[in-house]
Amino acid sequence: MKMHINLVPPLRVLGVVGIFALASAILPAPLQAQVEGGEIVVVQGSNPPSLDAMSTSSQASRNINMNIYETLYGFSEDVVPIPILAEDVVISDDGMTYVFPLRQGVMFHNGKEMTARDVKASLERYRVVGATGNLLTPVADIEITGDYEVTLHMVEPTPTFLEAFSSPRAPAVIIPEEDGGTAAGENSFVGTGPYKFVEYIPDSHVTLEKFADYSTDMRHDGPDGFGGKKTAFLDKVTFRIIPEPGAQVAALEAGEVHILEQIPMPAARRLESDPNIELHENLQWAFTTFIFNTNVPPTDNVKFREAVQVALNMEEIMAISSEGLFSLNHRWQYPETTYDPGDIGAEFYNQADADRAKALLEEAGYNGEEFVILTDSTIPQHGRAGVVIGEQLKAIGINTVINQVDWPTALNLRMQDEGWNGWTLQMGIEPYLGPVGLIATLASPARPHFVKPDPELDALYLELTKGATVEERQETFKKIQAHLYEMFAIVKVGDSGLMQATRSNVEGFVPFRFPRVYDVWLEG
Amino acid sequence: MIRFLIYRLLSAIPVLFVVSLVTFLIMWLVPGDITAEIGGIDASAADLQAIRERLGLDRPLWERAINWYGDLLQGDLGYSYLLNRSVTDAVLERLPVTLSLAGISLLLATVIGMLLGILASVRHNTWLDQSAMITALVGLSIPDFWFGIVMIIFFGVWLGWLPTGGFVPLSEDPVGWARSMVLPAFTLAITQMGVIARMTRSSMLDVLSQDYIRTARAKGMPARTVIFRHGLRNAMIPIVTVVGVISGVLLSGAVVIETVFSLPGVGRLIIGAIQRRDFPIIQGGLLITACVFVFVNILVDLAYAWFDPRGRDDG
Repeated sequence: MKMHINLVPPLRVLGVVGIFALASAILPAPLQAQVEGGEIVVVQGSNPPSLDAMSTSSQASRNINMNIYETLYGFSEDVVPIPILAEDVVISDDGMTYVFPLRQGVMFHNGKEMTARDVKASLERYRVVGATGNLLTPVADIEITGDYEVTLHMVEPTPTFLEAFSSPRAPAVIIPEEDGGTAAGENSFVGTGPYKFVEYIPDSHVTLEKFADYSTDMRHDGPDGFGGKKTAFLDKVTFRIIPEPGAQVAALEAGEVHILEQIPMPAARRLESDPNIELHENLQWAFTTFIFNTNVPPTDNVKFREAVQVALNMEEIMAISSEGLFSLNHRWQYPETTYDPGDIGAEFYNQADADRAKALLEEAGYNGEEFVILTDSTIPQHGRAGVVIGEQLKAIGINTVINQVDWPTALNLRMQDEGWNGWTLQMGIEPYLGPVGLIATLASPARPHFVKPDPELDALYLELTKGATVEERQETFKKIQAHLYEMFAIVKVGDSGLMQATRSNVEGFVPFRFPRVYDVWLEG
Repeated sequence: MIRFLIYRLLSAIPVLFVVSLVTFLIMWLVPGDITAEIGGIDASAADLQAIRERLGLDRPLWERAINWYGDLLQGDLGYSYLLNRSVTDAVLERLPVTLSLAGISLLLATVIGMLLGILASVRHNTWLDQSAMITALVGLSIPDFWFGIVMIIFFGVWLGWLPTGGFVPLSEDPVGWARSMVLPAFTLAITQMGVIARMTRSSMLDVLSQDYIRTARAKGMPARTVIFRHGLRNAMIPIVTVVGVISGVLLSGAVVIETVFSLPGVGRLIIGAIQRRDFPIIQGGLLITACVFVFVNILVDLAYAWFDPRGRDDG
């Protein structure tokens, strides 16, 4: 008996399936079928201190605010300033005027259209209540030069102004003119972003709702850093405040919440194989640093500081403090970014060289004076790094004392010129902002983190801010990198990452400096 | 009775004064202030000083204390540095959460604890007695934050019966409110349940060995009547004392449970304020909590009178 099998229909089916499979593999993610509607719950550990975006530099606020408000300019995915609410910027040849033509038809959440009057009122308010209001110090005057055009007149040419103006740290967001005269925290929380503010119950949640009249920036194909083409697919987004990490993870596992802004690494390892959970590594999140007080002995001695630098085993400190999500990096910029200074200083990094350290201690004339490490338990990485550094330094004969306090106390103590020698600090947003944002914390006119100003670093910082081109600034930054490894006033321990987690039905989520809830949708 | 009540209310004033004064002094001794939170990590010494001056934190302690008590006499507990609202509003809007939690926990701890204690005393020296006391001891020994996480994982994640955290206001959804309260209230109750069970057992054993109980039994009175009407009622004085003390413990224990179960109560408000040095909230929050504690103690004293007629005569 012969069996006749007609292979044509199955082959046709296979062909069709193959074409679909190939198409879905080739097509970029934004073209996948996005689902409109629904609600997601994002979890973070602490309350936003304020929903007035310009008055706070807190990460907990930024997480929420950057979905509500927008700026004229902001950073792209590659940390390059791009226009968001502005059409463009025209900078005069002498660098003394910045003309910002505005996008037309941009609506505020209160139903009014954004004009130059709103922009002027917002920037004037930023001077008064902006948490980093000094970024407008180089601006002499803000002039309305058209219904949809604003011109900034500068005090002096400041080549790095646009970078500073694009900073998301305490962003110079555009709010309605009516809010221009309000005190910090007393605006109406109205912005131009894809989601609008609905409710804030401290210690419980913040609710946002899709802004139906959102003016999409059609110059892009999709989100790009803080700007780009943003689409609100979800009807409602709730940011829940859950302080206890164990409870956060339980809520994610139970399916009550959809996105964890941060998941502890032990929990992440446990959930690695869970089909309902997806993990997202947000690398290059922060610099782990150890800062000396150069004002008091024994850390006023550069040889002593160098001894500490070469004694430290960075891999061990990073592995423990970051719970395993880190990369070793001696640079004061992230690798392969615009200002990456290359190998300068690498010979001093992660040496764990006890013999060399002991010789340097002898050269420094170290006599067993107390070396007080100031650290805190509020930010767990600080406490863990402090303990490991302390143990490593004890091993080379340094009389280490650890003073672990809470964060407000640590901030208070480090402002005192005496009483501490080393301080652990995670630098989160500063490295992201590029060299100016980072070095500003170490140079005058600010009080340097290491207490005693260093004239050479101050001069290099000035040179950096005045560098007319990127190439000039890159060269200056190389000099800064070299100088930081000559003065040893601050130790770069490594780059730590942030592990984030979502339910597997959350689509479109891409880790970034804040949880972008636009261009995110729910499957099924 | 009214004279007694007035006397107790008046005697609460020095208690509350001392509580507020001690809080003031402790806050003054604690290093750090809110300026770092407001100014951010890069604020200069001058920036921080300017914030300190704006908030009046640069003034001497006595001057701040006089101002605070002066405002208090006018019913003003001050304004939160960070929450952008008055202390009274901030505390009162969270009080229902904490009172719900503490109230339900007290009810659970009292009912289950007393039942365990009565069972243990009536079946003295049997396996039931030992089982009840072991249960009480386990409850007493378990750290509540750990037990809370275990409850969340078991009932919230594995079984999916109850929410893992969060609060639903009673006015919005009574069923949701009840569901959001079950795990935290039971977790908070478990430790105190053991205390009440042990106290009930010991008090009941004392009473049940009295002559009048033997007489009641000899008269042929039903066991239930002997235990509950003649036994329990006379054993209630020490139990009520313990319940009064526990009410305060539950209010303070709510701090941990509110954090574990993400409940927006007074405990979390005060913890957050301590972490950020929001002094008006700490000061006002503790004063209101102390008022609640004093009020509960007055209720306990009134309950004494109810259970012990001698108290009524004395009052």
